[in-house]
Parts: sequence; C-alpha cells; structure tokens
Amino acid sequence: MKLDANIPAGPIEKKWDAHKFDLKLVNPNNRRKYDVLIIGSGLAGASAAAALGEQGYNVKVFTLHDSPRRAHSIAAQGGINAAKNYPNDGDSVWRLFHDTVKGGDYRAREANVYRLAQISNQIIDHCAAIGVPFAREYGGQLSNRSFGGAQLSRTFYARGQTGQQLLLGAYSAMMRQVAAGTVTVFPRREMVDLVVKNGRARGVTVRNLVTGDLEAYSGHAVLLCTGGYANVFYLSTMAANCNVSAAWAAYKRGAGFANPCFTQIHPTCIPRSGEHQSKLTLMSESLRNDGRVWVPKAKGDKRLPHEIPDEERDYFLERRYPAFGNLVPRDIASRAAKTVVDSGCGVGPNGQSVYLDFRDSIKRKGEDKIRAEYGNLFDMYYQITDENGYKAPMRIYPAPHYTMGGLWVDYNLMTTVPGLFSLGEANFSDHGANRLGASALMQGLADGFFIAPSTVAGYLGATKFDPATTLDKEFGESAAYVQERVNRLLAVKGQKTPSELHRQLGNVMWNDVGMARSEGALKKALKKIPEIREEFWKNVCVSGADKDLNQTLEKAWKVADFLEFSELFVRDALERRESCGGHFREESCTPEGEAKRDDANFSHAAVWEYQGEGKEAQLHKEELKFEHIKMAERSYK
Amino acid sequence: MTSSKNFSITVRAWRQAGPREPGKMVSYGVKDVSPNMSFLEMLDVLNDELLKKGEPPIAFESDCREGICGCCGLVVNGDVHGPDEHSTVCQLHMRRFRDGDVVTVEPWRVKSFPVLKDLVVDRGALDRIIQAGGFVSINTGAAPDANSIPVEKDRAEEAMDAAACIGCGACVASCPNGAAMLFTGAKISQLALLPQGGPERARRALEMVAAMDKEGFGNCTNEYECEAVCPKDVKVANIARMNREFLLANLVSKR
Amino acid sequence: MDITFLKRFITTSIGRKAVMAVSGLLLGGFMVVHLAENLLLFRGEAAYNGWVDLLLSNPVTPFLEVGLLFIFIAHIITGVWVRIEDFLNAPRGYEARKWQGGRTIGSATMLYTAAAILAYLAYHLLTFRFVDHSMGFYQMVTAAFRNPAFVTIYIAGSAALALHLSHGMQSAFQTLGLTHPKYTPFIKLGGLLTAVSMLGFALISVYFLLNIDLKTAEAGYQVTVIR
Repeated sequence: MKLDANIPAGPIEKKWDAHKFDLKLVNPNNRRKYDVLIIGSGLAGASAAAALGEQGYNVKVFTLHDSPRRAHSIAAQGGINAAKNYPNDGDSVWRLFHDTVKGGDYRAREANVYRLAQISNQIIDHCAAIGVPFAREYGGQLSNRSFGGAQLSRTFYARGQTGQQLLLGAYSAMMRQVAAGTVTVFPRREMVDLVVKNGRARGVTVRNLVTGDLEAYSGHAVLLCTGGYANVFYLSTMAANCNVSAAWAAYKRGAGFANPCFTQIHPTCIPRSGEHQSKLTLMSESLRNDGRVWVPKAKGDKRLPHEIPDEERDYFLERRYPAFGNLVPRDIASRAAKTVVDSGCGVGPNGQSVYLDFRDSIKRKGEDKIRAEYGNLFDMYYQITDENGYKAPMRIYPAPHYTMGGLWVDYNLMTTVPGLFSLGEANFSDHGANRLGASALMQGLADGFFIAPSTVAGYLGATKFDPATTLDKEFGESAAYVQERVNRLLAVKGQKTPSELHRQLGNVMWNDVGMARSEGALKKALKKIPEIREEFWKNVCVSGADKDLNQTLEKAWKVADFLEFSELFVRDALERRESCGGHFREESCTPEGEAKRDDANFSHAAVWEYQGEGKEAQLHKEELKFEHIKMAERSYK
Repeated sequence: MTSSKNFSITVRAWRQAGPREPGKMVSYGVKDVSPNMSFLEMLDVLNDELLKKGEPPIAFESDCREGICGCCGLVVNGDVHGPDEHSTVCQLHMRRFRDGDVVTVEPWRVKSFPVLKDLVVDRGALDRIIQAGGFVSINTGAAPDANSIPVEKDRAEEAMDAAACIGCGACVASCPNGAAMLFTGAKISQLALLPQGGPERARRALEMVAAMDKEGFGNCTNEYECEAVCPKDVKVANIARMNREFLLANLVSKR
Repeated sequence: MDITFLKRFITTSIGRKAVMAVSGLLLGGFMVVHLAENLLLFRGEAAYNGWVDLLLSNPVTPFLEVGLLFIFIAHIITGVWVRIEDFLNAPRGYEARKWQGGRTIGSATMLYTAAAILAYLAYHLLTFRFVDHSMGFYQMVTAAFRNPAFVTIYIAGSAALALHLSHGMQSAFQTLGLTHPKYTPFIKLGGLLTAVSMLGFALISVYFLLNIDLKTAEAGYQVTVIR
C-alpha cells in the first residue's frame, strides 16, 4: 500500500486554488454519463449529492433510513465554526487553522486543515442562502457565540439544533436535484460490500432492507459518507444505526483505515441507569459555563449532595486546572471524571457519575436566568432521569461521542482504492487526535459541498474507464460473498441475541480501551475480543428470513463487523505508545498525570492495510510534517 | 428517582408480516420493567425475549433515540407519540406506566403511509412533498456573503420555529383527516419567512400543495390535533401562512 | 377567456377550503344580519312589518336571495366534497384513539350540525318563506313562536347553528390565512360571540312562547318603548 497524500505544491494559502485549477474538468454534456454512488445521506453525503447533481453528474444516494433526512448529523446541538470574524474579535482563516491543528494535538495534515478553515466561510454563505435559519442579531446580521472553550466567538448556530438545520438544508438542496433528475435516492438500503474492478472502485452491493434482496449498482466513483463508529462501545451518544460496516467493507477491499483508536469522549452526558440502556444522551457542554463539577472527598459517601458541606467536596477540575477550571477541553474533563470515579468517589446508584452543580450559579444569577439559558437541557435531563437539576445537582459521566479515525484519504479525499472517496466523519482527515467543538458540521459540509465536487470531478475527468456493468463477475462474486455471510448468520440459531453480544463487546471496549488505555488492559482486550467473536459465530440468534424486513439480521451484520473492527481499534491503540488528544496511554504521562505526546516517534497517521481473513493487518505510516505551526504541549493549568 | 421498583406490564402490539398481509393485535407479557427504561428500551427487552423464544421480534423504527431524527413514531394507548406532551415516543419513559398496565402499541395508520411490517410504515410521501419545492434554488458556490442579506431577528426566530419539524409524520397520524398540512405548512412557512426563499415563494406554494394533494393526504378542517401532538411544537399558524401563500400565489399567478 | 384556472383552483385542497371559508363567512354574516332583523320583533308589529315591507319592495332583494342561494350551494358542495375526501383519507383502524386537545365538540360535529341546519332551513323556508303572507309577517312569526313544537325545533336549529359556527367562524379565518399572533385571539373571540349570538334566535322564540310580550303589555309596560 502506497500512501501518497497528494498535497499540492506551493504556499499553503494557495494550495487549494492552485489544485482546483490543476484538476481535470468534465465537459458539461458528458457529465450525465458518469454515475457517482454516494453511500449515506448525512451532512457530507447529502451535500456532495447536491453539489455533484448541480454540476450534472448522475448521482445515486443510498441510505439505510426511510428518508434521507434522518442521519445522525441531525443530533449535533452546538453549532458550526467559521473564520468569518463577524464579531471582530481577531479571528482569521489562519487562526482557525491554527486552533484546529493544535486542538487535534498535532496529528492532522496541515494542508487539509488549512483548506477546511478557508472553506468554512463559504459554508456559512451557502447555508444562509439555502434557507438555514441561523440565529440573528437585531440588525439582521448573523449571530456568533463562543463554544467549547474557544477564546473567540466563531460559532454560528440555529438554536440548539444546528446539526438538524444544516442537515435539512443539505437535504433540501439534494431534493432539489432529485426533482431535477440528476440525483436518485435509494432509501432503506444498506451497503454491504464494495465492488472493485481492475483496481478501481466501480460499484457497491447493497441490501434492500424491506425486501432483503441484494442489489448491485455500478458507477465511476463511490463516495463513502457513512459517519462514525463510536457504537463499537455499544453505549455511545450515536444513533442506534451508526455503524462501521460500510467503511469496514471498503477496508476489506483494500482501503487503508487510519487511526481507528482516535475516539472523542464527551464529558457531559447523562449517566447510564441500568443494563437495559440502549444509548446515552449528550447534553451541550455549554452547561459547564455555569455548572461546577464535583464529587465528595470521601470514598463511597452515600449522603445526599446537599448534606455534604463545601469543605468535604472535591471540585476536581477547579483544583487540577485552576486557569481553565470547569472549562477545560473535552478529553481532559472526561479523563479527570474517570480518575475520581475510579478512585471510588463517584456518585449515583452505581458510583459511575459525578455531580454538575448549578447551586452557586442559581444563587448568583437567579433560577430564571439559568432557566432561560439552559431550560431545554434541564428539561431533557428531567425527562430522562426524573431528577430536577435546579433542586439537586445533575449527574453526568463521559461517553463516546465522535470518532476522529476513519478511512485514510489523500488531499482529494480519495482512499487508497482509486475511485473510492470518503467524506465527513467516515474519513480520518482533519481533526487529528481530538476534535474541537462545532467543527464536525464544518468538516462534513466542507467535504460534501466544496471539496469532493471538485476532486471527484477531477478524478472522473482524468481517468479512462474500462466498461463495467453489474453483470461483471466482480459484482457476482460480491453478491455471493454477502449472501454466504447472511446465510451463515441465519444458520447459527444460537442462544444470545446480537444486542447481548454487542453489549459484551462494548463492556470490553469501554473498560479496557475507553478513556485511559494501558498496555496490560489493551492486551487483555485483544484476547477477549476474538473470544466474543467466536462466541458470536457459534451462538448468535438471528431469527426470521433473509428476504424480508429483518431488523435482527441488520443488527447482527453490524455487530459482526464491529467484532472484527474492534480488534484493529485495539491494535492501533496498543501500537500508539503515546498520549495524544482523545487517546490516553497511562504509560505516557507527566508526573502530574497529564497526557504526554511523543512527537519523535508518533507524529504520523497510522494506516492499517487488510491482509486477508485471520491475518494481522499491516501498519503503514503517513508522516505528518508541521511547517506552519509550531508543535507545543497543550496545557490548561 | 432511580431506585423505584420494577414492574410487569402487558404489551398489545400490532403485528403485520408484510405490506399486503392482514395484521392483528397480539399480547405479550413483559416482566421486570424498570421505570428508568425508555419505552423503546422496553420494546428492545421484549424483542430480545421473543428472539430467544424463536418468535419474530416486533419491527419498529428508531435511530437517534433523543427526539430529533424523526424515525420513531408509535401510537401508545391511543396517544400519538405517547402521553407526554410535545415529545417523541423515544423520549417516553416507563415511569409513566404502572404495574399491570395493558399498553397498546400501534403504527401510524394513514393511507399515505402504508405499513411495511408491524410498526414500520413508509413515509416517503413526505420526501416527495419536499422535492416538489421545499428548497431554495441556488447552486453551491453561488452565494453572496452571508451577511449581505439581513434577516429580521424575529422573522429568523419564526422561521426556526417552523424549521424545527422532524418529519416524523405525527401530524398526519393524529389528524382526523390524515392531512399533511402542518408538515407542508412548516416548510413553506420557513422559506416564506426568510428573504432567501423570496423569489420562489409563489411557485413553491403552488407546487408543494399540489404534491401534497397528489400523495392522497386529507384536507385541513382546522381542528389542530396536529399542533397538540407535534413533538417540536410546530404551530398551526404555519398552516395559515401556507394558506395565505397559496391563495396569493393563485391570485397573482398568470396561469 | 379561459376559466380552467378556476377549476384547477377548486380541485386543490386549499382552494376548495377557501371557497368553503368565504361562503361560510358570508353566510355567517347573513345570519348576524338576520338576527338583527328578528330583534325588530321586540319593537312590535309596526316596526317589524315595516322593515319586511321595505325589504320586499326593494327590487334588489330577489337578486340577493339568488346570490345567497348560490353561496349556500357553494358552501354545501365544497363542504361535502371536503368531507368525502377526508372520510377516504382519514387514519383508520386505530384500536385505541384519543384526541389530544385540538378537537372540540363543534369541530367534531360539523357534518351533523350541517345536516341539522339544512333540515331546519328547509323547515324554516316551508313555514315562513313559501306560505301565504296575507296575515302579516309579524302575526305569522309570533303565532309560530307561540307553538311549543315549533319553538323546540327552532331552539334545536339555533343550537346546531351555534355549534357549527363555534368552529366554523375561526376556522374560516385560519383557512384564508388571516391569522396574526396579536389579532387571532380577538378573531376567535369574535367567532365565538357570533356563534353564541345564534342562540338569540332561540331566545326570541322563547320570549314569545312564554307570552312575555303580552305579560309586559298587561303589566302596563309599552313594549314599544324600547327605542
């Protein structure tokens, strides 16, 4: 596997423009002869479909949902960053670029991040133009807020539903192209395999989730916009259907998988309440602006929170990080919470949470002010826990939330399989080892609206394609492979449901490969995962028929992939013997217990290449060079 | 509080093997229900039990399970999205029920949303309404600076109120006439309120209403059941605005 | 001169409802005027018959009557059309079904109250419109009002009308898109008052049924003093 990032030459400010000029064009009359297959209709997928459709390509979009408006981009609450500098507080493309690289703990590619910062402004322009109801000032101008501990206000938002509004914007742009005849949407289809012919991605095999039929689609380029894989932890803030299957299928067909272990754990989630829990719910981290995080100083203190006097409370974030206090970045806040819970000071029925206390803010500002600012979050908390956050402190605990790792892509967002592109959270590109708040929406739309439409066109224009139809033997082989795996899943007829086995995997992942990772625990996980996988294939229980709407089969398919993928995840974590961003190795920390990067040995993206079933994946490295930003220690003391 | 006792209920759920199969209500006992479970988690538990007994689990849709994706939609004891006001059924928790309760669970029963299986329906008609005009026709890259078109703050807020629709179809399921007026009105309103949607206002209103009629949705008799069940509290003022847009568009249209 | 646009308009869900709303508002307006006319009964025979004579001697009146008939027919046709479509499209088969707060008795019974009103109207026309008027209008009306059976039907008819309008008036404004956060509450109140005022018809008939006009006259009051 050759890793060539294809970064254009020239000064970083000019790279993207120069590159767009160098990319080949396709004559407008010829564009409809090119089929582009897009998997996933979230921010990245829908926006790419819209933009490619507008240019005149023949686009087919596949989504596992009943409608292309439901992808999990919809759940993003906070906002979207852009370097507009409307508030005149010193922002610039360069500063957004700098903050993103630094926030990612210097594990992202400079040229990509710079381009992202450049495009951020166009995204806001376009989204405002397509009717996204962004928050406004009285003068009619767009409103900004500061988010996720940023030192300036660069976050655009639409109430607490920015992700929803942007997704619906991209969806509407795509539906316009559906009406125009350039885009066709195939709902309730799950991609189960990638078809590669003569070394190029030429199609996909999808399962029709209503009829159970396997369908083949051929095309000239395939765009994977399939989101993140945090559900490998079973419990995460992701939607129930988020999965790694499409990316994993691509990996097995030759696409390199980069930095799988880079996961973001979000500190302010509602803790789990029991075994039955199916997902975790995130509350906006803006809560930390006014809430103080604490646990009792004494271990196993069973008193009610108001019975514990201040001197017996440990405000551990304020104690450890006096400069930033409760506003330290996500990874740091999460780990600190884990440390106190592990030491036995956790609160709640199972001791697996910490308090987020608004008592002092309510005293200072009044309950009305707090209600005006966070009312919807307090309501949400009450709805889920039946507890009143105004009267007693909320309980929170970190939860997996976003995955920075993903398919390796070059500057053109193309994977190591020619013709296979990956956009949005599904690729590994721009966030390094940690993503800043309000940057996920930015990346999804940058990839979809602006980058892929140029680079995919460039690929189509520059490539001489062999003919390919779904009658080719590659498509037949793919369908046979999928059918065989489906048959195997149905044939086991065991005793454990896919959910139970998924939960088993999740426990291993969360306990051994969660917020803090040690060599011992990782090696333990590497032993346990194959055992669960073996149990899965011997004892999974999938009832019903193959040619039917069969949700158990869908779930089992995803869990089977998670059981393979998780091993790569752990190996990646084991291999990266440094702490960086969301990846914390207990062996690599300062005497005070803070994360310590090892730039000499790990300033690279770890890219894994599939070697065949049962064989160990091979590691490749893309060295990361930092020519514009000085590497420094992240310190929030 | 989190420590309340577990209890048992009976679930009466609609079972239908396929779009053209007859369906019926079937009862299942569910034991050891924790009050902290969400309603859908209770169904998960029931489904895992059914699976182990070799019976087909109850098909139902859900994804985000935090009330924003619009996938889920059930009629629980006759209440669209369950008894809680302005929330989706995935946000309903079992603490709303008592030991021994019999809980009926039904799909949206709307002509334009055919049942695919059990509690899963096809809401593709809503997408076809959007595709008729629920967009602003501007190509990527053609937009002027975002601040070059000021938008009055109150209008932006009102547009946001309308745009909050999650497309779950509860308004149709609750409507005595099976109308999709709240859904369509919300989108027409959002884009009519924003200056960006201005140039296409008339065309949008005509086309989207035509698409809505074509899909076989009912008429609005202004009974406002839709507003009462809407998980996002989208107001019927949006239907009035749609009516206004549509009537004006007809009045000035040259056709 | 191409009127296909009208056909297209009335076959849309909203266009049809708009016709129903406009005709409904006009009919509601007519009913208010009609009530005002009937209130003249309180002022005695001279006043009432004087107004009726004035009305009947006006050459425009027959045209207005025909216009009213057309409006009424338009209202019925669009109403029945909407109702049939809604019947066909209504969610069907819910085993359990609760209304969640929007529906009112008025809105849920529109079809029934409409039928009652139609029946009542037919009866009304047969008793007052298409009969021999030689005895004088005042005498004819008050005689009818002293008949308990007639008054019972009259009360039922007015109640149906009130119920119909309790939903219909505000609904028409909504259908025509005439809503505004500031004014809609007043429109709704106005609609409700119009509906309630329909009970005035019943009240007038009861007034005569109980012979209050005669009693007050006997007691030495001049009914006609109300000027």
